[in-house]
Amino acid sequence: MTRAAPPRDPIGTACGIAAALVVSAFAVFAACLLVSARGVAGLEFLLNTPSALAARAGIGPALAGTFWLLLLTAVLALPVGIGTAIYLEEYAPRTRLTALIESAVANLVGIPSVIYGIVGLAVFVRALGMGPTILAGGCTLAVVALPVVIATSTVAIRGVPNETRLAAYALGATRWQVVRDQVLPAAAPGIVTGCRTAFTRTVGEAAPLLVLGTASFMTFAPGTPAHPLTSLPTQIFWWASHSQEEFTALAAGAATALLLLLLTINLAGAWVARRLGGGAP
Amino acid sequence: MMNAQGVPVAGTASRALRERLAAHVFLACTVVALATLGTVVAVLVRESGLFLADVSPWRFFTETAWAPAAAEPRLGVLPLLVGTAQIAAGAAVFALPAGLMTAVYIHQYAGPRAARILRVVATLMAGVPTVVYGLFALHFVTPALQAVWPGIEAFNALSACMVVGLMILPTVVVLSREALDTVPVSLLEAGLALGATKGRVVARVLLPAASGGILAAVLIATARAVGETMIVSLAAGYEARLTWSPLEGLQTLTAFMTQLGLGDAPSGNLEFRAFFAVGMVLFVGTYAIHMAGRMLVSRRVGTAAR
Repeated sequence: MTRAAPPRDPIGTACGIAAALVVSAFAVFAACLLVSARGVAGLEFLLNTPSALAARAGIGPALAGTFWLLLLTAVLALPVGIGTAIYLEEYAPRTRLTALIESAVANLVGIPSVIYGIVGLAVFVRALGMGPTILAGGCTLAVVALPVVIATSTVAIRGVPNETRLAAYALGATRWQVVRDQVLPAAAPGIVTGCRTAFTRTVGEAAPLLVLGTASFMTFAPGTPAHPLTSLPTQIFWWASHSQEEFTALAAGAATALLLLLLTINLAGAWVARRLGGGAP
Repeated sequence: MMNAQGVPVAGTASRALRERLAAHVFLACTVVALATLGTVVAVLVRESGLFLADVSPWRFFTETAWAPAAAEPRLGVLPLLVGTAQIAAGAAVFALPAGLMTAVYIHQYAGPRAARILRVVATLMAGVPTVVYGLFALHFVTPALQAVWPGIEAFNALSACMVVGLMILPTVVVLSREALDTVPVSLLEAGLALGATKGRVVARVLLPAASGGILAAVLIATARAVGETMIVSLAAGYEARLTWSPLEGLQTLTAFMTQLGLGDAPSGNLEFRAFFAVGMVLFVGTYAIHMAGRMLVSRRVGTAAR
């Protein structure tokens, strides 16, 4: 690590030590996880079902559940969230009420997701009769993602310079043409980044799903959203709850798979945002 | 495109229709979104209101034991509140000094390569799901603590505090760095020109000038620690008790709420509503802290723009 500061600067030295500590804490965390997971790495682990025999257990159903949840969240939360942001920024009158709604939604981002879980249990699982299924989990995660998508898309749309809109209007464009041809292309990289944030948050979410009631032991991969709820994060929780070391290794293996999945989503999102950003001025 | 009479229309008429359609679609999205989020709040308010109709707020906030599933339910939220405060305070002890100092290091001292490494590490840390941190706390940090400190319980607050601190570290680093970035360079240069050492400029100019934004970072990070669920569920145990010892287990508001899905979930009775009452306390607390933090951020942005 380079140190540009002169030697007699105790504050600089202390800050350098703190930074080194932060990096090493993360390194220790990553090393523990990877060392523990090395025993389970392999194709069988990705495809097998959870089993009482740790040696034969795998994350097949959990992986399938997480893909279903990802799909449902995307389908349910993205169009509604982005549409809401467009309405609030481009169509709604600039009144105090609009500002109040925007700030209330942005504050909902800070609400612990477990709260959405108990409401999801009362509404989706019980009142709407979905039961503890993938569908109920997807709906709940979509509600968790909704404020994030709205808040980040709102910020992205607000960042488009007003001159762009005014110039388009001056050329005779209608409001929808301005939104479609000017605002959305310019705001696209920011919106994609926001959706990435929302996915990073929901894909790793365990607490609200646990509240809905998850299958800790599933012998088949969920083929439709009507199948019982399972996911990678909740599977990690169930394996982590065991005290035997074999299950810790399974949990670490599933955690590594989850981290790789999140990394893929983030890199793909960053790539898309960059591609979109290249087209805009 | 057809109009109401079934006669094809073109040009301006169909454009007007598209125009109206777009506006209505976006309005519909907004109505759906706000109705959904409104329902969340309404369900919370309704169920916790029904709870408070049976249990007086006085009893809820002053009774010192929490056991809603017991034959004779004890319904004092105090142990959960104290547990949550302990975890948040403990995490702050680990995360705030280290996070703030790291932000100062990136801002003032680090070369481009070190700054890049630290930014990447902060991004990676921020992306780790909390259940993975929970696994780390229970199966790696706790055994390590037990090795050096044999008296520590298998479920303990210390391990949870340390790892919640690790979890909120990137939030502290990133938001404090953003706060430091808003301080005009001319201010720092003025300090250096007067002969102050770099360390003195950091302590006397940079940090005071950025204090509003740093406070916002602290508040938003605290809200995250208060709302943290999986680390405390896994590492701190499931027993609600009023204790101050970090070596023992405790339960937080959030950890209690995950129990709704872990056993035979109760339905429609006092025990079920207790989850919503706890949820309401958590909602109000985190919403207020988060709002205060965001207000400080927007004020900071306002001053920086001038």
